[in-house]
Amino acid sequence: MIRGLNIVLAVTSLVALVGVYGLKYRVEETATRKAELESRIEHQQATLSVVKADWAYLNQPSQIEPIVERHADELKLAVADEKQFAKFEDLPMRPVSEPDSAALTDLIKSLDAGIDPAGGKIEGQ
Amino acid sequence: MAMASLGGNDTIALDGARKARGNMTQSRIRVSIVLLLAVFGVVAGRLIQLGNETVDTTIEGQSRAALTATRPPILDRNGLEMAVDIKVPSLYAEPRRIIDVDEAVEKLTSVMPDLDRQWLRNKLTGDKGFVWIKRELSPAMEEKILHLGIPGIDFITESKRFYPGGPTASHVLGSVNVDNQGIAGIEKYMDSEDVGVLQAVGLARGRALEPVNLSIDMRVQNVMRDQLEDALTRYKAIAASGVMLDVHTGEVLALVSLPDFDPNEPATALKAGRLNAITAGKFELGSVFKTMTIAGALESGKVKLTDSFDARFGVKFGRYTITDFHGKHRILTVPEVYKYSSNVGAIHIMQAYGKEAYRAFLHKMGFDGAPQIELPERTESNIPQTFSDVTAATAAFGHGISVTPMQMAVAISALVNGGTFIPATLFERTPQQALAVSHPVVSEATSERMRYLMRLNATDGSGSLGDKLARGYRMGGKTGTAEKVENGRYAANKNRNVFASAFPMEAPKYAMVILVDEPKRENDHSGDTAGWNAGEVTGRIIARVAPMLGIAPNLDPALDSELVPPELR
Repeated sequence: MIRGLNIVLAVTSLVALVGVYGLKYRVEETATRKAELESRIEHQQATLSVVKADWAYLNQPSQIEPIVERHADELKLAVADEKQFAKFEDLPMRPVSEPDSAALTDLIKSLDAGIDPAGGKIEGQ
Repeated sequence: MAMASLGGNDTIALDGARKARGNMTQSRIRVSIVLLLAVFGVVAGRLIQLGNETVDTTIEGQSRAALTATRPPILDRNGLEMAVDIKVPSLYAEPRRIIDVDEAVEKLTSVMPDLDRQWLRNKLTGDKGFVWIKRELSPAMEEKILHLGIPGIDFITESKRFYPGGPTASHVLGSVNVDNQGIAGIEKYMDSEDVGVLQAVGLARGRALEPVNLSIDMRVQNVMRDQLEDALTRYKAIAASGVMLDVHTGEVLALVSLPDFDPNEPATALKAGRLNAITAGKFELGSVFKTMTIAGALESGKVKLTDSFDARFGVKFGRYTITDFHGKHRILTVPEVYKYSSNVGAIHIMQAYGKEAYRAFLHKMGFDGAPQIELPERTESNIPQTFSDVTAATAAFGHGISVTPMQMAVAISALVNGGTFIPATLFERTPQQALAVSHPVVSEATSERMRYLMRLNATDGSGSLGDKLARGYRMGGKTGTAEKVENGRYAANKNRNVFASAFPMEAPKYAMVILVDEPKRENDHSGDTAGWNAGEVTGRIIARVAPMLGIAPNLDPALDSELVPPELR
């Protein structure tokens, strides 16, 4: 009985040995991969920070202003004049108009006759 | 039995073979236990040794983490980045791992020709564990150096501060040194507040921090800087500065002081004359103070807008006589004193409610001590604790007392916003938060009258040049032209011109103080008093920023006539 137990123990330890050995290598591999990924992330973060800074730089008013001035003539840009501002209260009310009942009747009649004036227009385009 | 007779003490041991073997086994066990203990002892000893070993991970006295420590990004009130961290590689060497110093020097100088060979050779020779070669390189350079394949040379990714706006907001932001510690401006303030604490406990290491929102509006900041630069060339001035506040929250929207510096190159900040004139400079602001004199007088109740003061003759103090610059030599009402900027009138108004009361009013308006603002660069104003008759008289028109322009901007805000004193801040603040730190200084009635006077001065008085440039934006303000003091005397042809303003006057939102130092006439037809330069600069700034800030122009004359207080209608 003891001999059987010994064999079992020996086999178990052999398996464990091989397993631990394999695990060690796998861990080492994972660690290498982790370091690799970390350095890649660090690199990408560095690039990202530079790109972000670049974006912020390009968005600065001090950066945009000279560009605007350079193209001011071509695009007809100028500082807004006080005449160019208006308020909603200054707008005239929309003229009140009665619905054109005759035209509506015509439309309904033509629709009943199977002719859709709108449809015709769309096809014509 | 013969053996038994051998000595009385000697015992006779008669051991069997079995017993003898048992003894041997026991001693063997003992030996192996001792051996095992010794082995374990060695192992334990080694463990303790390893545990106690301290590895020197510092880099020239700094921990590696401190180098990669990040600072929070700084944003303006619209979320535009004003300062960001960028990660840059820094080159270092481990001299004890370098095999061939000459080869390393040769290769490194081939890609970095600006390195001094002798200096580099000295650095790389020896048994040191760490030396910096060059900090904050470009990623392209990093690639090149890696391709050289020199052993004992490596990179650390450091955080570097970058200010996308360059010099636009230099005096607000300040700058950081190569070790990422704030050395001026908001950067230094943040270190003293919380970033320093975070970095000390290791929280700010290599992780993104919550961005800090400033009250600055980069658009307004840029316009103000642009216009002040324009003023430097247009009026051949030696310096110009300005500050704009939100009168309801005390938030600083723009703060410029020219000449300034590029925070990306902190060394430029150290040149002479680069100080922040708004908070760290104190000046005699001249006639702008008449605004305070009159506000104090109206608040005391002893002077009314309808009162008249005799400005026919100068005021005599011993040998000195104080007269008016544009003398009207007649009896002036309070609005006329303000509009014509009469020194004599201002003295009489001050005397009408007393010099002690005027001194107390200046204290109430926050002119004593240093301005309240989150910048380390601040200076204390210079106002005598008690006024003599002469100092009170000169102080009534802003001479003999020096204050910072920031204090003036805060005081003007308080006068126009309904009478609430709100300390300035560079961080975002809601009107509710502002209410908690504010206190009333003048009544709503006084504030109303001051708004009328400031608008009157812009339409009919010395501010009209600026008002023409900002048509429809209802600006109001007061000029101040102070002769500069040189060697203890007033220099006749060197002025420091000031314009303190607010807009839109019927319900002021923003207050501004503009200073132009030693301006000359723009052309033969123009003058050199404040209205011609500081006033015009103010007008140009308002014309450009008011639409950005949501203030539409309105030329309705009713707006101005509604400002007239009932007693003058």
